[in-house]
Amino acid sequence: MYLSEARVGQNYTVKKIMLPFETQRRLEALGMTDRAPVTVLNRKGKGILIIKLRGTRFALGYNITKNIEVDADEAV
Amino acid sequence: MKLFKKRSCCGADAESKKVDDYSMTIGFIGNPNCGKTTLFNAYTGANLKVANWPGVTVEKVEGAYKFQGEKIRLVDLPGTYSLTSYTMEETVSRNFILSDEVDVVINVVDASALERGLYLTLQLLELGKPVVVALNMMDIVLKRGMEIDLHRLPEMLGVPVIPVSARKRTGLDILIHAAVHHKDAKGPDKLIHEHKETSSHVHDHHSEFTMVYSDAIEDEIDVVENALRARYPDMRNMRWHAIKTLEGDREITEKYPLDIPEAGKNYESEIINEKYAFIGEVIDEVMVHKQRQDKLTDKLDAAFTHRIWGIPIFLGIMAVVFFLTFFVGDLIKSLLEMGIGALSDAIEGGLTSAGASEIVISLLNDGIISGVGTIITFLPNIFILFLALAFLEDSGYMARVAYVMEGVMSKIGLSGRAFIPMLLGFGCTVPAIMASRALENRRDRFKVMLVTPFMSCSARLTIYILFAEMFFAQYAFLAAFCMYVLGILVAIGVSAVLHLIDRKKTVNYLLIELPEYKMPDARTVGIYVWEKVKDYLVKAGTTIFIATLIIWALMYFGPTGFVGEGSDSSFAAYIGGPLSVVFAPIGLGFWQIVVALIAGISAKEVVVSSCAVLFGISNAGADTAGFAAALEAIGFGPLNAVCLMVFCLLYIPCVATLATIHKESKSWAWTGFTALFQLVVAYVITLIVYQIGALIV
Repeated sequence: MYLSEARVGQNYTVKKIMLPFETQRRLEALGMTDRAPVTVLNRKGKGILIIKLRGTRFALGYNITKNIEVDADEAV
Repeated sequence: MKLFKKRSCCGADAESKKVDDYSMTIGFIGNPNCGKTTLFNAYTGANLKVANWPGVTVEKVEGAYKFQGEKIRLVDLPGTYSLTSYTMEETVSRNFILSDEVDVVINVVDASALERGLYLTLQLLELGKPVVVALNMMDIVLKRGMEIDLHRLPEMLGVPVIPVSARKRTGLDILIHAAVHHKDAKGPDKLIHEHKETSSHVHDHHSEFTMVYSDAIEDEIDVVENALRARYPDMRNMRWHAIKTLEGDREITEKYPLDIPEAGKNYESEIINEKYAFIGEVIDEVMVHKQRQDKLTDKLDAAFTHRIWGIPIFLGIMAVVFFLTFFVGDLIKSLLEMGIGALSDAIEGGLTSAGASEIVISLLNDGIISGVGTIITFLPNIFILFLALAFLEDSGYMARVAYVMEGVMSKIGLSGRAFIPMLLGFGCTVPAIMASRALENRRDRFKVMLVTPFMSCSARLTIYILFAEMFFAQYAFLAAFCMYVLGILVAIGVSAVLHLIDRKKTVNYLLIELPEYKMPDARTVGIYVWEKVKDYLVKAGTTIFIATLIIWALMYFGPTGFVGEGSDSSFAAYIGGPLSVVFAPIGLGFWQIVVALIAGISAKEVVVSSCAVLFGISNAGADTAGFAAALEAIGFGPLNAVCLMVFCLLYIPCVATLATIHKESKSWAWTGFTALFQLVVAYVITLIVYQIGALIV
């Protein structure tokens, strides 16, 4: 599934990021790498998200979230 | 205190003389919004702008600090998350730190966002420069009930870690002391790591480097390092270059190409993941009660970033801001007006009895006091507007606006982030245009530069207050608020049209850190507001003063000499008369108004001060009845007032804005185009307003 379809409050693990070179590098520098854990804090519209990534909140646009493939973590 | 700005990163030759005066140079680096500038201000006594949203500092700024008789050069760098070479700021920061100019790096880390901060720290340590970590915002961490083991953290990082509070100004001397003593450090201090996995690597890197990778990566680093050593024997810090080569760093691989298979592989993800894994280890050991997250931010965000209520709440906040600016500002304003009125009367009385010439009395009363005095009376409104904006900026709400507006903005081809500069435009267009630098996309920056002047700045506020109160009495606030809304609509409309005709459609990627909310700091807000009030007073005393004098001279003199008040034989009438034909279709065909509008390009407040002089009103703010009567006498009614407000909102921005657009775009053609474009938009929209209005009235 894609991050744009993610549910609020759920934890995800990044599987694959398919974005243009520069955007991908910028995300990677923030810790958004393959296998990075992500928590969705808030969402609106088609998939504009607030996520928690490596201890910090980020707002991500739909153009980013629709291109990040994730797996939902098992509920603990 | 010395403060000079430098724009290029390595223009060391011209500056090297200045640098020699200092015993050493310390570079401040850290994540966006970690408090670098607050710390820098605390040392240098500078009043650089600080706020709670990422990307406030867009330029490298320098200052000096005296420590134990030595003069130390301090350099504040724009915030950055990493030291790759993908963005302008990162490249600037990295090259500056790598240059010989910098002796010690002070890495400012926000203790409440330790995980993110340490990622930059690890990269800095790999660069090989002496690093001292300044752990900022410890007070927030403690307040939240967390603790950081300040004994263990330096052991794991191998560099000194000094807790400081930039806001409370504690730990400042200790930090500089550590930096001075760490100047000649080679490699990390004693490292004590307790890694779970045992390494079978040939080297025991764990005593050498803070960041040690898995054996697989370390093997690759060794291969690349050997290749680099063979080909570039003089290279300093082979390990860093080897890591960068494995990360596929564009700048390094272009500068130092290698023809070994390892150079072609890309281990960037692995390298980043392993760094974060090590950070995880550090956090586990040094953070106590890490689960105690910030509940306040979550609660506030539930409302402010609500998927439906987010936008109404934002509009509500803006309405409150303007309400305060109008009503509370006006209460204080009326007091100031009385004072200035009394002063004007006293001067006139005093000078007349002293037998001063008519021209001198006119210059003082009709020129300076009407013009500059009128502008001064708006100070309370300006003060409250900036106080409110400072509050919004320092609380952490500003970054949320990017999220809230993303939906709307993406429809017009801009990122939600582009709304931040536009919002700042309500204060002053100049810093707003500079803030557009935080946008990654060049085309976006140019678009934002084109539409930001449509956002109604504080200078234009003076025009609305004066004319709206004169013609619309109890509906004044509504009339002025409509101007703000119109400005936003025009800005959004123009962006939408640009988006439609733009064939090279760019996709926008909103990506912004949302800082935690905090109570705005009195000192930070104080500095912010004081700087704005000072700017306003300076502007009143310089640009507006001079413009007023020129207008007075044009108005009271004609080809025949001193012609006195309101004369049709003055120079002003000769200039404005022919042009008023052009302005007649938009309801502004009055030579006095035309002259005021031309003068208003120097600064928008000048429209108000010029009107005061041109209509011979001693204090336009106080004597609205007299002003209205003077305007009515020439047939200037409510509809004309609306047209004037609309035209002033939209036409050519002030000279300072144009200069900033030129500085940022580095193009006279673009600057000229912007000015012409605004003029055309203003003319067309005012034309529509006047023609439709004339049918109704």
